[in-house]
Amino acid sequence: MKQGLTKMLSVFLMVSFMTGILAACGGGSGDDAATKAAAPKTESGKPDISKKVELNWYLVGDADKDSPQVIEKWNQMLAKDLNTTVKLNFMTWNDWQTKYNLLFASGEKIDMVFASSWSDFFKLSKQGAFLDLKDLLPTYAPETWKTVPEQDWKDVTVQGKILAVPSTYPEYTPDGIVYRDDWRQELNLPEIKDLDTMEQYYEGVKNGKKITPINGKAWNEVNTLFHYYNDFKNIGGDSGIIVAKSYDTPRDVVAYPFTDEFVTFVKRMKTWADKGFWTSSTLASQQEAGDFIKAGTGAAYWRNAPGASGFIMDVKKTNPNIKLAYFPFTHFHNYVVPNLGINNGMAIPKSAANPERSLMVLEKLRNDPEYYNLMTYGIKGRNYDFTEDGSIVSPAPGQDPAKVKGYGIASWGWRNIKNEHPAKDRWEGEAKLIEEFKAISKPDIFAPILMDYQPVKSQLAAVNQVFQQYGQPLMMGLVPDVDAAIETYRNKLKTAGVDTVLDYVTKQVATYADEKGLK
Amino acid sequence: MSGFIAELRKNKILFLMIAPVLVFFVVFSYFPMVGVYYAFTNYNFDGGLFGSPFVGMQNFKFLYESGALFSLTKNTVLYNLAFIFIGNLLQIVCAIFLSELTGKWFKKTTQSIMFLPFFISFVLVGAFVFNLFNTETGVINALLKQLGMHTYDFYMNTEPWKYIIVFFNVWKGLGYGTVIYLAAIMSISDEYHEAAKIDGANIFHRIRYITIPMLVPTFILLILLSLGGILKGQFDLFYQIIGSNGMLYETTDIIDTYVYRSLAVNFDIGMGTAAGLYQSFFGFVLIMSVNWIIKKTREDYALF
Repeated sequence: MKQGLTKMLSVFLMVSFMTGILAACGGGSGDDAATKAAAPKTESGKPDISKKVELNWYLVGDADKDSPQVIEKWNQMLAKDLNTTVKLNFMTWNDWQTKYNLLFASGEKIDMVFASSWSDFFKLSKQGAFLDLKDLLPTYAPETWKTVPEQDWKDVTVQGKILAVPSTYPEYTPDGIVYRDDWRQELNLPEIKDLDTMEQYYEGVKNGKKITPINGKAWNEVNTLFHYYNDFKNIGGDSGIIVAKSYDTPRDVVAYPFTDEFVTFVKRMKTWADKGFWTSSTLASQQEAGDFIKAGTGAAYWRNAPGASGFIMDVKKTNPNIKLAYFPFTHFHNYVVPNLGINNGMAIPKSAANPERSLMVLEKLRNDPEYYNLMTYGIKGRNYDFTEDGSIVSPAPGQDPAKVKGYGIASWGWRNIKNEHPAKDRWEGEAKLIEEFKAISKPDIFAPILMDYQPVKSQLAAVNQVFQQYGQPLMMGLVPDVDAAIETYRNKLKTAGVDTVLDYVTKQVATYADEKGLK
Repeated sequence: MSGFIAELRKNKILFLMIAPVLVFFVVFSYFPMVGVYYAFTNYNFDGGLFGSPFVGMQNFKFLYESGALFSLTKNTVLYNLAFIFIGNLLQIVCAIFLSELTGKWFKKTTQSIMFLPFFISFVLVGAFVFNLFNTETGVINALLKQLGMHTYDFYMNTEPWKYIIVFFNVWKGLGYGTVIYLAAIMSISDEYHEAAKIDGANIFHRIRYITIPMLVPTFILLILLSLGGILKGQFDLFYQIIGSNGMLYETTDIIDTYVYRSLAVNFDIGMGTAAGLYQSFFGFVLIMSVNWIIKKTREDYALF
């Protein structure tokens, strides 16, 4: 019996291993099939849509309460126009990052996915996750092909291949803080113009209102302030502690914990932390500083510019007595860079079963107002309605605001300025802010640098973890002895191999700068 | 082979009954093991699993190069030992208490209350901890303030967290383990106890000489099963309680949280698999050697 059992076990092991190999090989050949040439066209030159297909799409973010109805309506339209239906999947904000990365490795057939520079578009492109759309675009999405600006196509071209359809929505998204302007006036504090007035404001509301100014988690408020105040620029997306020292000196790449600016800044943050501008458990807190503003126990909240106007309008609805103002960090150095086209976009993974049809759906979605409005704003007369001048009221007038809300999903991937409608109630400061940004706009020279960390990935992983363990508490001023903590931080970074990463990034930036003819 | 076929013929119903289990393990445990190969490749989507370039041990570098591996392994192992031994001992004690209780209503209620924390997610546990220990609004510090004593800044000191984490893990698993031991106690025949009573043994004697010795096999079995995962930290527990609070990592960092932090920014399939392989490999070595030792000393209790 015992011998028989052993034998049986070994047979099972063999079989399972063989199936494993076979299945993996099968997966490999499936990829090849997906990159096949474009489907034949019918004689009239129109793409052939005689076969009914169901597409599989993925978006980041949560679905709206009304999404099932909206998607059903969308599918009815698609079935009529393109003989297609789409299964629209959402990756919730809680764990989208993990899911997103695994999506491409899972082998699931996916026809379209949200893609953006902040969701690793460039890294995944280098790893070959997306399908080249160059030959498909003129045939299956002619209008998109014509209307997306040349520069935006360039942004998504990696190694000569066009790997995504960027959204067409020029926008400025610099960081800044939203603060209680009513309290500032009441307490006779100066308007926030720089770091000193900011400190006066925090100190004033701390003492005058007996609250913690940046309540909850204050990391973003401080970290973005640090970057903007010192004009340290991230290279090719979030580059952690490796930054270009300023906009004017792109080739001067440093690891910022080794700079004097860092020492000065964290010493100041230590005094801020000691004065109680944020709590000592701020790094453990899971609550947004903005929620405390609504509760009346907070006085500042990090937002990017569009996010700020959204938040200010939101508070106006929930707490009409609170008056907020916005201080964009661009005031420190008086310039702003516009977003890359691929700040949001849509891409087709290599596993796609029907890339042609998928592009046709995107073409409709971007350019046909009926499709665009439905998927972006929801159901007309329920979630939204237009005023005479084309502004949006949401929810639609006459609906009970307690039951029906404005529609909102992460629709940014197909955003198209041509079909966008401004909200009827918007923050009065927004237009002024955009004017201000337009006047001081400079081209973004750092975001398009394509960083591939493959050769230094183990050092980078070690550096990232040192940053979390030693860098974050230091930045928040939560260490007893700043000088000693800086010393430890620097030593740990050295051991982790920060120099190797720095050398590598410096070289990459230099190559890029030569190519583009930068100083 | 012929012996196996004869065996198959003779007991075909029995084999048929075990087939689903075997299929389950082949599909969900043995088949995915092929993916271990990811740990040795530089993954790209064109090549897939077997087409990506082979890079040898390069993916393991980030674990040992920064010199953190030793302290991480130490933390993980020590935490798990504390969880296993303190947890099991308390579970045995509770199970014995419960089994000696006579009031049925009280017994059932106690058991349910002890079991409840098992169903609470670690996200909630994390929220409990934050609301108990934070400096400004935490229950403990509010209490200290009321009593006119100095507040204690838990989030700035690494020392108390060892105990907090062990406490919450033991608290959460207590009811579940107690039920297992209670079942083992219930299966002890009453005749032993009656015979002991006639011989004049009091309740302590009976627990000492009957219940505890009879629980040893269950105890060893549970220990052996948990030892295999000794290098696998409870990610949920540590991540939800400590989160991204760098100041506390010195005493609370385990392999899982370290790997998560290293790779969350720069996701890499190869390096993630490498870390998992390291944990599984050492878990395997550990369980084999402990089992070997037990086999040498008390053969009946060995797993296999």
